[in-house]
Amino acid sequence: MNQRAHATTVLARRRIFETLISPGYYVAQTIGLVLAYFLVAGFVRSIDSSGFDYQLYPAYELIGRSLVGAFGATFVDKLFSEGPFLFTLYVAFLPVLLYLAVSSVFRFGLEKKVGALELLTYGPADGTSYFLSGLIKDILATAIYLVVLLVFLLVAGVLNNLVLGPSFYYSLIILFFLSITIYAYGIFASCLTDNSASAIAVFLGLILFFIIILMGSFTIVSGYVRNLASVFAWIIKWISPLFYWDFALGFVEVGNWGMFFVGIVLLLVLSAVVLFISHLTIKARGVRS
Amino acid sequence: MIQTKNLTKRYGKFTAVNAVNLNIPSGEIYGFLGPNGAGKTSTIMMLLGIVKPTDGEIRLFDEPYSPRRLDLRRRIGVVPEKHPTGMWTWMTAGEYLQMFADLFALEESQKRIDHLLDRVGLAEVKNKKFAEFSRGMLQKLSIVRALLHDPDILFLDEPISGLDPFGVKQIRDLILEENREGRTIFISSHILSEMEKVCQRVAIIFGGRLMAEDKMKSMLTTLAKDREIHVDLEELPSDLPTKVKSLGFVQDATGQEKTLVVKVPKTGDYRKELSKFLIDQNLVPLSIQEKSLSLEEAFVTITKENIDLFAGIGGEK
Repeated sequence: MNQRAHATTVLARRRIFETLISPGYYVAQTIGLVLAYFLVAGFVRSIDSSGFDYQLYPAYELIGRSLVGAFGATFVDKLFSEGPFLFTLYVAFLPVLLYLAVSSVFRFGLEKKVGALELLTYGPADGTSYFLSGLIKDILATAIYLVVLLVFLLVAGVLNNLVLGPSFYYSLIILFFLSITIYAYGIFASCLTDNSASAIAVFLGLILFFIIILMGSFTIVSGYVRNLASVFAWIIKWISPLFYWDFALGFVEVGNWGMFFVGIVLLLVLSAVVLFISHLTIKARGVRS
Repeated sequence: MIQTKNLTKRYGKFTAVNAVNLNIPSGEIYGFLGPNGAGKTSTIMMLLGIVKPTDGEIRLFDEPYSPRRLDLRRRIGVVPEKHPTGMWTWMTAGEYLQMFADLFALEESQKRIDHLLDRVGLAEVKNKKFAEFSRGMLQKLSIVRALLHDPDILFLDEPISGLDPFGVKQIRDLILEENREGRTIFISSHILSEMEKVCQRVAIIFGGRLMAEDKMKSMLTTLAKDREIHVDLEELPSDLPTKVKSLGFVQDATGQEKTLVVKVPKTGDYRKELSKFLIDQNLVPLSIQEKSLSLEEAFVTITKENIDLFAGIGGEK
């Protein structure tokens, strides 16, 4: 094993251990699971003789209206066509995704600021082995949570006589790969900046930017603005992980599993490109802030 | 062992390090002195591969050095000025050292950790969280970490800054002991009295330029403008300094209580002539001592005003 791979393994082991003994990870999981519970319970209460109607339950009415406003009615219909679990999956996944991504970005900036990263490079690790160890930790923590969430929702399904549809499983898979690309962007933001606050600002700015581009593709805007926005979005979308997520799930709807896997590969390629740019950035900027 | 040739670092238009040439042989304790902003840290960071030089060359162990040379990096131990605060606070001293031992893939790491902790007197606190350590304990722990992989060169950045006198002595003894075992030690510090006690050779950097580099004693002799002789007398007549000034070789003379302070040119030893003169005046010299220039005084001597005068002493010619 070469020195970088060895350093990455040693640091990843430590960071996984740290995550498993820190309360933050469990707090985020609990928040996700509590949200999942309420969403499934709310869904059950929103069913009448004609089926699911989000207007029957106040919380769902609010959520439904907001989603229709942001993404359009077709999107919302698709989201709930197989029951509550697809929407619940996204909502319950968000706290853990945000916790892992933001805490990693925060820690990267902090360790750079106080000289801990520099100390590790005397270790000898290097900036790349450092951020790869963080990525491995985040991937593993995400996988653990997705398994926990899957078990939780399977049990909820059995108890409420509901089933997890195929879209749920495909979304679960694509979410895992989507999160890798999001963590890669977190690393990129950390390599680009000198401290935690600016790294978090850049990271959240990027994610918000990707969400806006995605929302733009769903929202119907007329005339010149729509044309301009669509041209702009077409140029930018290639660097957005959400584009590949949407791309992959789009093919699931038409039963094209091959293109679904192409979507996954594209997410992995994008992650690799972002990590490679991060590697070049930290090499050029150094591990000192 | 450590060589630099025209090592330069520029940040935009500002030149932090300007064509510095160092040549540090194996087994030496080398002191690197300079005021804040002199280019000391930038030079060290380039030597450690943390900062890229704008120009120039670094050779370690007679090989061209680059941060990619992990094999060379393994032969270096580094003690930074401060231990990173707020990091790894859940770890005990033993766990902290084990992490670095794992990074170096050390065999029999536990044995090595125990041995080094014992040497610095931290064996009893091995299982204590190091977040509770004092500044001195952290500094010793940092030195243990840097020595874990038995490096050939030890870089110490302000190793005794903020330590109590007992801690200073412990670190000083440790440095001397490590050097006796053949380790090359590069120390950067502003506590000049301590540098004087441990360093065999020193370099002074100022304004990014290496102003002087020499053996400690040679540098102090070279930088001294004159010699100062202190004569302790039973009694100091008030007119004695004026009488002494009349001697041809005396540049200046003053009285301090019962001590006569005489400045003479550094080119000769005038103690004999001075004793004879005092005896002729019916005075009894109790002791005659030559006060040598301290490193601190030498350091102060090298100021902006006399850059040109001292630029030729050592590294920069």
